[in-house]
Amino acid sequence: MLKYIIEKELRDMISSTKFVVTFAICAVLILLAFYTGAQNYRVSQSQYQAAKTENLRQLEGLTDWIMVRNFRIFLPPEPLAALVTGISNDIGRSVTVQGRGELATQDSRFSDEPVFAVFRFLDLDFIFQIVLSLFAILFAYDAINGEKERGTLRLTFANAVPRAQYILGKIIGSFLALAVPVLLAILLGCLLLPLLGVHLNGDEWLRLGLMIFAGLLYFGVFLMLAVFISSLTHRTSSSFLLLLVIWIFSVLIIPRTAVLLAGRAVDVPSVDEIASQKNRLRSQLWSEDRKKMSEFKPTQNGDPQTMVSEFNKFMSEAADEREKKMNELASRLNEDRHNKQAVQEKLAFGLARLSPAAAFSMATTNLAGTSMDMKAHFLSEAQAYQKTYAEFMQSKTGMNIGGGAMVFRMRSGDGEEDVEKPIDAKELPEFNYAGLPLDRVVGAALPDLGILALFNLLFFAGAFVAFLRYDLR
Amino acid sequence: METTSTNEAVTNHAVNSPSQSRAMLAADNLTKRYEDGVLALDHVTFEVNQGHIYAMLGGNGAGKTTTINLFLNFIEPTEGEARINGIVTHKEPLRAKEKIAFVSENVMLYPNFTALQNLDFFARLGGQTGYSKDDYREVLLRVGLQEEAHNKRLKGFSKGMRQKCGIAIAILKDAPAILLDEPTSGLDPKAGFEFIRLLESLRDEGKAILMSTHDIFRARDIADTIGIMNQGRIVMQSQKSDIAGEDLEKLYMKYMAGYMEQVN
Ligand SMILES: Nc1ncnc2c1ncn2[C@@H]1O[C@H](COP(=O)(O)OP(=O)(O)O)[C@@H](O)[C@H]1O
Ligand SMILES: [Mg+2]
Repeated sequence: MLKYIIEKELRDMISSTKFVVTFAICAVLILLAFYTGAQNYRVSQSQYQAAKTENLRQLEGLTDWIMVRNFRIFLPPEPLAALVTGISNDIGRSVTVQGRGELATQDSRFSDEPVFAVFRFLDLDFIFQIVLSLFAILFAYDAINGEKERGTLRLTFANAVPRAQYILGKIIGSFLALAVPVLLAILLGCLLLPLLGVHLNGDEWLRLGLMIFAGLLYFGVFLMLAVFISSLTHRTSSSFLLLLVIWIFSVLIIPRTAVLLAGRAVDVPSVDEIASQKNRLRSQLWSEDRKKMSEFKPTQNGDPQTMVSEFNKFMSEAADEREKKMNELASRLNEDRHNKQAVQEKLAFGLARLSPAAAFSMATTNLAGTSMDMKAHFLSEAQAYQKTYAEFMQSKTGMNIGGGAMVFRMRSGDGEEDVEKPIDAKELPEFNYAGLPLDRVVGAALPDLGILALFNLLFFAGAFVAFLRYDLR
Repeated sequence: METTSTNEAVTNHAVNSPSQSRAMLAADNLTKRYEDGVLALDHVTFEVNQGHIYAMLGGNGAGKTTTINLFLNFIEPTEGEARINGIVTHKEPLRAKEKIAFVSENVMLYPNFTALQNLDFFARLGGQTGYSKDDYREVLLRVGLQEEAHNKRLKGFSKGMRQKCGIAIAILKDAPAILLDEPTSGLDPKAGFEFIRLLESLRDEGKAILMSTHDIFRARDIADTIGIMNQGRIVMQSQKSDIAGEDLEKLYMKYMAGYMEQVN
């Protein structure tokens, strides 16, 4: 019995012109998402290479490592980040490393090319969010009440058909009828990636697979919801309207409102407040050190070379001391801000997760590595690099010159024999960005996958119970 | 002429009488009061044996569809019960429904499916999985649907064609009882006539047929027993042999007129 109902549902759905047209549009959009993703990736890739080359070129001609006051490192583009952009276009793609001190990202894509910020990208996250949910609603809003309106429900239940099997067959049938074609379009998009010059490694394929799985779960949520609503109502026009309202709330209103509400509810000290506190301490420390500087007395042997190096040592130590104090304050302020931010984020995301669209978006951005974690991870990688950089500089120049340490240098005046050799920029340690590790990425996505699964279960149960009591006449 | 004009008379002979076990379809004090308080059926009792056609004759709102819905377990009786082959429909609906086929006032099938595809689906739902395409064609020809239409989508079918498909589906189910709710309303005379001939042939095959209609001539033409229904009661029930032409008409008109007066 179940088999016949599933078969019928499949055939009924696929045989309509509405299906063919809508599916064609969906397929085009999905392929477009893959195409623009790949395109994005290649653009970012060439921008990244150009920026890196330019950065090294700026070191050309320098003859002493001591003249290298800072170095820029870049966030390498990732194909998954191009497919699901998340915050990747909003955060800075480079960090200027000085050897010590706090780091900040700069040069976000949206600040460099603001035109893209206007309508955002047509990425997989967005297309799935819109297309999959609309596709599900468009074809399942009349799953039950449509049969009633058409009069086929009466004829069906004039036979010995158990209601449970019928609703189950309906759900399985419509899921297959809609998900399989969508999945085919997605797989086609995946096949397109290597052809478009995007090569994923094993981990990335796995993550993409999980993203598609999240898409199916998300699709399932709206399908179950549509079947649920259609077995709560008796007219297809009412279920369609109701679903449209739910869709608007879920996709457009709830996520935004959640962030606004959380912003109101939790007060996070602004970056400016923190910066001004830090500036106050910095100038205070500086004025203290200036006094010490004026009291600096070199050991009395008169050798200018020794004097300069002693002074530099003194300066470097003072800078380290300042750095320590600054770091103490900064970490206290940052921690406070961080904690409040975490509370705010938790609240915002918690509220937003009332919407399956938000849960889906968080799952996919986590899997793509473009969630809120992205910036923190980039900064921590940069921080780690800064240590390597500082050690390198130490080895080259005998000191860590970053972060406002003042360096004086004596030119030995006597001569031509001191021909200056340009430094070899390639000696600088490379910044090897390691993206978020797989287990962390998957771990971060799990709660949202769980939420999507829960929504599925909830609406499935709802549809089931509603249909058991449905008025078949 | 002998007509029983009250419920009691009918009830007397139905309750616990030995004929009960032989009746394929039985309404036993069937009562339905809707949630809004409308008493749509008021202790209705009748039986339909195999090889018999029972016509429920009544105007709009008499309670015909309610009766049929009770047999199909689409609604639960407030009192009494409907039985199909002795099975109480609201207690064992699935088992009861194996024994009936149903043709509605306006047969609606899947518009995107061809006639053959619709027949195939509903035949399977009816528990008949052994049919071939030729079987479907044969039945469609029997009910008078031309060959060209067999492979056409239902979308473009006229009401007459759909009713033909509906009865074809009922025939395919091969259940011992057939329920029809005003199956000929809206059909042109020729189609209506053919439909009635078809029902007769099914009766002759031994089916118990319960049909509702507001068409007195059709009822008189085909029914073995006619029950006139008014305001949820069977106000008169008579055997075909007892029906003397205009008398039935007069009675019917009387009840219908009474109904009309109450409406106005
Ligand atoms: N779902 C319902 N709720 C309330 N009253 C109903 C419902 N369905 C039918 N009725 C009422 O029950 C009575 C019998 O209706 P029905 O059985 O459809 O009559 P018929 O089929 O003979 O025209 C009518 O008065 C009708 O208004
Ligand atoms: Mg009716």
